[in-house]
Amino acid sequence: MLMDKLQTTFEGVWPSMRPIVLKLLKQETVTQPEWQGLFEAVHSVCLWDERGAYKLRDALQQDVMMYIKQAQNRVLAHREDQALLKAYIAEWGKFFTQCNFLPTPFRQLENSINNTSKVTSSNASSTQKKNNNNNTEDSLVRKLMLDSWNQSIFMDIKQRLQDSAMKLVQAERNGESFDSQLVIGVRESYVNLCSNPLDKLQIYRENFEAAYMQATAEFYKLKADEQLSANGVQLYMKYADQRLKEEEARAHRYLEAGSDSVATLTKCCEKVLIGEHLPTLLAECAPLIKAGETDKLQLMFRLLDRVSEGVTPILRDLEAHIVSAGLADMVASADIITTDSEKYVERLLDLFKRFSSLVKDAFMDDPRFLTARDKAYKCVVNDTTVFKLELPSSALLRGSKGTAPESKCPELLANYCDMLLRKTPLSKRLTSEQIESRLKDVLLVLKYIENKDVFMRYHKAHLTRRLILDSSADSEKEEDMVEWLREVGMPADYVNKLARMFQDIKVSEDLNTQFRADTTRHDAINIKILNAGAWARGSERVTVSLPLELEDYIPEIEDFYKKKHSGRKLQWYHHMSNGTITFANSVGRFDLDVTTFQMAVLFAWNQRPMEKISYENLRLATELPDPELRRTLWSLVAFPKLKRQLLSYNPAVQNPKDFAENTTFWVNQEFALIKNCKPQRRGKINLIGRLQLSTERSQIEDNHSIVQLRILRTQEAIIKILKMRKRITNTALQSELVEILKNMFLPSKKMIKEQLEWLIEHKYMRRDDDDINTFIYMA
Amino acid sequence: MSGEDFDALDRGDNDGQKSDKMFTLKKWNAVAMWSWDVECDTCAICRVQVMDACLRCQGESKKDSYGKQDCVVVWGECNHSFHFCCMSLWVKQNNRCPLCQQEWSIQRMGK
Repeated sequence: MLMDKLQTTFEGVWPSMRPIVLKLLKQETVTQPEWQGLFEAVHSVCLWDERGAYKLRDALQQDVMMYIKQAQNRVLAHREDQALLKAYIAEWGKFFTQCNFLPTPFRQLENSINNTSKVTSSNASSTQKKNNNNNTEDSLVRKLMLDSWNQSIFMDIKQRLQDSAMKLVQAERNGESFDSQLVIGVRESYVNLCSNPLDKLQIYRENFEAAYMQATAEFYKLKADEQLSANGVQLYMKYADQRLKEEEARAHRYLEAGSDSVATLTKCCEKVLIGEHLPTLLAECAPLIKAGETDKLQLMFRLLDRVSEGVTPILRDLEAHIVSAGLADMVASADIITTDSEKYVERLLDLFKRFSSLVKDAFMDDPRFLTARDKAYKCVVNDTTVFKLELPSSALLRGSKGTAPESKCPELLANYCDMLLRKTPLSKRLTSEQIESRLKDVLLVLKYIENKDVFMRYHKAHLTRRLILDSSADSEKEEDMVEWLREVGMPADYVNKLARMFQDIKVSEDLNTQFRADTTRHDAINIKILNAGAWARGSERVTVSLPLELEDYIPEIEDFYKKKHSGRKLQWYHHMSNGTITFANSVGRFDLDVTTFQMAVLFAWNQRPMEKISYENLRLATELPDPELRRTLWSLVAFPKLKRQLLSYNPAVQNPKDFAENTTFWVNQEFALIKNCKPQRRGKINLIGRLQLSTERSQIEDNHSIVQLRILRTQEAIIKILKMRKRITNTALQSELVEILKNMFLPSKKMIKEQLEWLIEHKYMRRDDDDINTFIYMA
Repeated sequence: MSGEDFDALDRGDNDGQKSDKMFTLKKWNAVAMWSWDVECDTCAICRVQVMDACLRCQGESKKDSYGKQDCVVVWGECNHSFHFCCMSLWVKQNNRCPLCQQEWSIQRMGK
């Protein structure tokens, strides 16, 4: 028992344990019995000696401390940085290995201490379990060892360690090479040193990482200013870009991987290298964009995209550039493009391609830049400085007091589209693929047009002419175009009408075949009977007294049509109809393509070929309204393409308005087509020109009706929104309105306001009593 | 050829000598518009103009725009007219004219 007693008290056991512990600390060889003896001794002390566990711990700590002090002396013996680091890393390495071994025999110690200190705690067993599970990782002895190291040697020399390590990194930045393991070793010691189980990286972060960041920031603060003032912005950007990449790589080497140190460091570098010089860098942006320096812009974009709000100013610069360059280009070539739709559209497309490739090359088609391009290009397309379409100030119209001028772009675009689809020199010159790709270009520009309703109106008028005069270059392409317009989001009712027009033309062809089969002798007539809703709503008809030759057909066709259909009424649109006549004079015989109005005028001479007929008598003969008769006569006395005109007249006037009641007209018996300066005896000429779809008066009304339709569409959309929302703020209403109407036109603020007032006045809606900017639907 | 055809028409006041006339017709492309012969051009049921397809047909025609059956008009004995599509749905609920409340019976159909 005496023996036992001696074996089971701390004082009895420790003397024999201590040498083994010291051996372990010094990494000297320990025999197996010695190692096992430790376990036994710890076990018995903890079991039998009430205070044994604590005494054991304190003694252990003393020895560890002593060992550490020795190690510290060995490390500090080195004056030179690298040697110091090397020594420290070596000592630490040894010590750290021991942190994994030494705690093992002392596991019993842990249980005892935990049990006594937490005897009152109800979940002692679970604590114990946890301790057992986690053994060496979180063990008491290990913690004791690490904490001791931390408190003594580390606290003492950490500044030197960090400084030395940072010096090495600095040296590397300056191009010197060294053993990177030194820095890595220091970092690892920082990481492993931490005994805080909740935040294992605490010591690393608070010391090593912080020092690294600080050193980096200080280094580049100096360097950045130096580089900027020495080399200027453009070279500086290269420098910064290269340095950022380098630092990132370096950070991967020297900073702890599991933490977000690399990201933190990158942020730090970005701030010093870019963020703090933002204004200087951005000052260079606009000139670079202007000069089209895509490589440099790409670099700038890459750099500035790293910092918050770095890209926004570039976007602004790009937008400003596109608008000003685009408009400058337009103004410079104003003379050509205002008169030539083809040149205009090509110019626009050219600009678009130029800006797009800038965005692609310099900004890698980044969505933000594409949006900026779209926004700016829209400004160019819809700009009114070069030319504008004057919509009538609509004082006459309900609730509206006038409109701002609009870009002529939609009209010219529609004209260009017509040139591609009609038989024209342009469409003949191009292959089918080229035409298709140009039509797609039209759709591209159309996307940017604010007032698509104007385009649609002109496009439909052109299509009407092409279909009635049968002058389409390629009917398949015509129908493709309709589908493309549908695809790009043109309003369905509009596109459906276009589709309907093609359908009508086909129906009319069948009708013609039947009509000719029924009445065999009529191959001089071709009828088109079209759906008034799709083709000509609201357009005004013009009366004309037809030549007998034509008049005779009318009842026959009407009878035929009545047999085929019921419940329909027919209205003749003689201002759209046309034909071919043969003109015979002393020179020869000529085929003339003419409008029915021209025909009506010319046939007046059939009864009295050589007579001079006064304006008034022509009016009595044709019954044409005054403006139409003047215009028709003008086309026969002054047709631009003809050297010798069909009709002569007297007295001469400058324009059709100046024909007087007694101006006389007669057929030019010398008329001939001139080719190579020689009069021809035979030939064919088209005198139709641009087919008049409506009368002069209704053309003015036409522009009114654009405005009128917009008003209705706006009211309709407002009601639609209110019906759905019941109540809505003014701002929300405006943006929903633009969304609904954007495929037709961009409603102006003024018009929206006027229509809101009108709807309120007529009790469709009201303002909220408490908030005048909120509207409420009234059923 | 067509010149001769044309002259045949005019034989009444002309001797059929085609060269006698200064201008002779060769070809005439006549254009007319048809519309339903109705008193009110809006269908009272769907509020769409009768010349346009009714709302239901317009919705469908988005899918197949071509070659669709026309959306025709129907007249009742009361002479009121509607889209045939609209009216055939209406009479399932109420066999009276929506405008005059007379009993609905079809007078004629548009074709």
